[in-house]
Amino acid sequence: MEQLIEELKREIIEVLNLEGMKPEDIDENAPLFGEGLGLDSIDALELIVLMEKNYGIKLQNANEGKEIFKSVRVMAEYIKEHRTK
Amino acid sequence: MDIFIRSASQISFQQPLDMQWLTAPIFPSVAFNPPLEPDYKQFVSPVESRRMGHLLKRAVAVSLDALRKGDCSMPDAVISGTGLGCIENTEKFLNAVIDNEEECLPPTPFMQSTHNTVSSQIALKLQCHGYNSTYSHRGTSFDSALLDAVIQIQLGQIGSALVGGYDEMTPAYFRMLNKLGYWRTDEASDVDSLQKSGRVGSISGSSAVSLLLTSSPSSEKLCQLYGIEAFSCFEKNQLPAIYHDFLLKYGIVEADIDAVMCGFSGDDSNDEMYRYFVAECCPQSDVLWYKHLFGESFCASAFGVYAAACCLHQQKVPTHLYYMKERKRDKIRKILVFNCFQNIDGSLILLSL
Amino acid sequence: MREMLGIAPDFAITRTSLLGRIALREAVQMAVLTKIGNRRVAFVSGTTVGGMEKSEQFYRDFLENDKRNEYIALHDCGACTEMIAKDFPGRISFQTTISTACSSAANAAILGAGLLKTGRADIVIAGGTECLSKFHLDGFNTLMILDSQPCRPFDKNRQGLNLGEGAAYVVMEMADGAAARQAKPLCRLSGYANRCDAFHQTASSPEGEGAYLAMMAALQDAGLQPVDIDYVNAHGTGTPNNDESEGHAMMRVFGNRMPWVSSTKGFTGHTTSAAGGVENVISILALTRGFVPANLNFSEKIDSLDFTPTTEVKTHVNLNHILTNSFGFGGNDSSCIFSKIS
Repeated sequence: MEQLIEELKREIIEVLNLEGMKPEDIDENAPLFGEGLGLDSIDALELIVLMEKNYGIKLQNANEGKEIFKSVRVMAEYIKEHRTK
Repeated sequence: MDIFIRSASQISFQQPLDMQWLTAPIFPSVAFNPPLEPDYKQFVSPVESRRMGHLLKRAVAVSLDALRKGDCSMPDAVISGTGLGCIENTEKFLNAVIDNEEECLPPTPFMQSTHNTVSSQIALKLQCHGYNSTYSHRGTSFDSALLDAVIQIQLGQIGSALVGGYDEMTPAYFRMLNKLGYWRTDEASDVDSLQKSGRVGSISGSSAVSLLLTSSPSSEKLCQLYGIEAFSCFEKNQLPAIYHDFLLKYGIVEADIDAVMCGFSGDDSNDEMYRYFVAECCPQSDVLWYKHLFGESFCASAFGVYAAACCLHQQKVPTHLYYMKERKRDKIRKILVFNCFQNIDGSLILLSL
Repeated sequence: MREMLGIAPDFAITRTSLLGRIALREAVQMAVLTKIGNRRVAFVSGTTVGGMEKSEQFYRDFLENDKRNEYIALHDCGACTEMIAKDFPGRISFQTTISTACSSAANAAILGAGLLKTGRADIVIAGGTECLSKFHLDGFNTLMILDSQPCRPFDKNRQGLNLGEGAAYVVMEMADGAAARQAKPLCRLSGYANRCDAFHQTASSPEGEGAYLAMMAALQDAGLQPVDIDYVNAHGTGTPNNDESEGHAMMRVFGNRMPWVSSTKGFTGHTTSAAGGVENVISILALTRGFVPANLNFSEKIDSLDFTPTTEVKTHVNLNHILTNSFGFGGNDSSCIFSKIS
């Protein structure tokens, strides 16, 4: 699990182009949107693509992301349960 | 109604955000000339800029810099010209569509690929809710944007506008245009060979120029925008009539035109119209050029207006702006910028002290 | 389309230009622009896709071989306008291209009005053209704003938009100029405005600030009150975000005296850069023929809105003023008002 969290942090930094940020700067329990990292709806769409591409998880609409992207830990737990690759 | 260019800023292969090109120009030696990038952190935070491609960063930087130089916090309008839009992002998305067979595509390059991304990013950064438009019409994209700003000022819709010309040249697009004979070989990209007739191709540049236009006079300004006319689908021999109508409309005579700033690029099919114009219309005026310092791009004409405005403000034209090094006039009070794209679309823009 | 226009199969022309040429021909014919003497004609066309439909097909060829070089120079938006203008039976004295995404054609009409009012043209042909491309279909799909069902503007369960393609132009001139050549105008463009939402690159603000500012400024430009508007041809794309945002903006403008409202995108799809032109034409037809087009596929009101769109076509109605909205990515929001000639 911790390994998946680390991997996810690296992928998030890369795909969202969070320049100058390191994995340890992201608190896996902090909210990704609004407060915390301050991401927005387009970032959520990028994360949806990330889940499909890297873990084979396909979300049907953007609203499902709201629950899953609460924090990196929640996201990692969801991926662990639903991943197809 | 009087209209002024209060301030301006540029990013090109000259020193960025600066007028050093007047005294310490950088002359090209190759055909592909990427711009010199300033430090963007002074304009946008890393979080803000994480989705911005190069063109957007440049556009926001020159816009903010022009506003700062013009001591203006909020323009009434943002109007941009861009021939290709954010082509870097367009290519990124296009490649993803082809490579991934339309699956798993990233939204960011698509949403940042549309041409109006530039004007809207500037508005977003400034929180400017005013008039906002984008022109994408080949070599007169910038000229169209400037014309729109003048029209809106004349109609009393706005009192000020940020008007810009923005285009980026990517290696892939350069290669494509090269097949059509757009570019010089590196060996023939020096300033001397660009002035020789009978050659084809020019050197490429990327453009980011922003001008702050105001209808209220201020002590600090670059120059007055005295007149503008844009025209299309004309024959070469119609040009003198277009020119004389222009002079008549703005109540000036030929002798008032101290210098004409032309878009000579080194490509004979392009330069022929400028040679004809100079010979037929303003043989007594000094002839200036700018594409040897800023390169050819759809929005290159923005540099013509910018360079003319800087010269009027400085009350001095540096030697390296004289085409064929020939100088006839002592004082420069009015410069006419003539832009012509592929003998189809053209504009006359008159700047005055 | 090539057949309709009499264009040879091997002649290099993009689909956006073909659509544009057909619309231009219709406009020229209807406004009898074949006998205009030395009047200066300006052509202002909106597009964003431009030549992308060919570029995406031949991109690899562009980079790797010389088979399709003729389409390289047709990629950009301006090339598309140029190619359409070549079909005009006479000289175009000024042409340009506007690219403000889905409000392009509306802004073309706004520039057109400016060219006429400042005496820079005698006649303006203004509108837009857009063909479907994989590029923007896939692009809208990445934003998850496409509906796999027919779009449902202003419906509670709407899922997104349907892309369409098309082209439309209006011919504009000042009243005295039209009178001098004995042209019979269809209506008056009595007001217009262009404002920016300045909220987000692809999303509209929840309160619809840009849309509200555009509608209010257009009313002011026309010297009209909200109550004077009989029908609003809404932008109404069917995306969750647009319809709620535009709905709030309309409630701010019209309060509890909401005029008839419909989005006609259920009939046409969202023709993006052409949409403002297509909907200008629909609005002018509605005004001159006295009908209110229906808003298709509506069944349930959006919770946060106090009004419902007009779901059945209303005929034999007297309309004096119609407001039409065109909103684009980047918060490029424009409104035009068409009024009956009294």
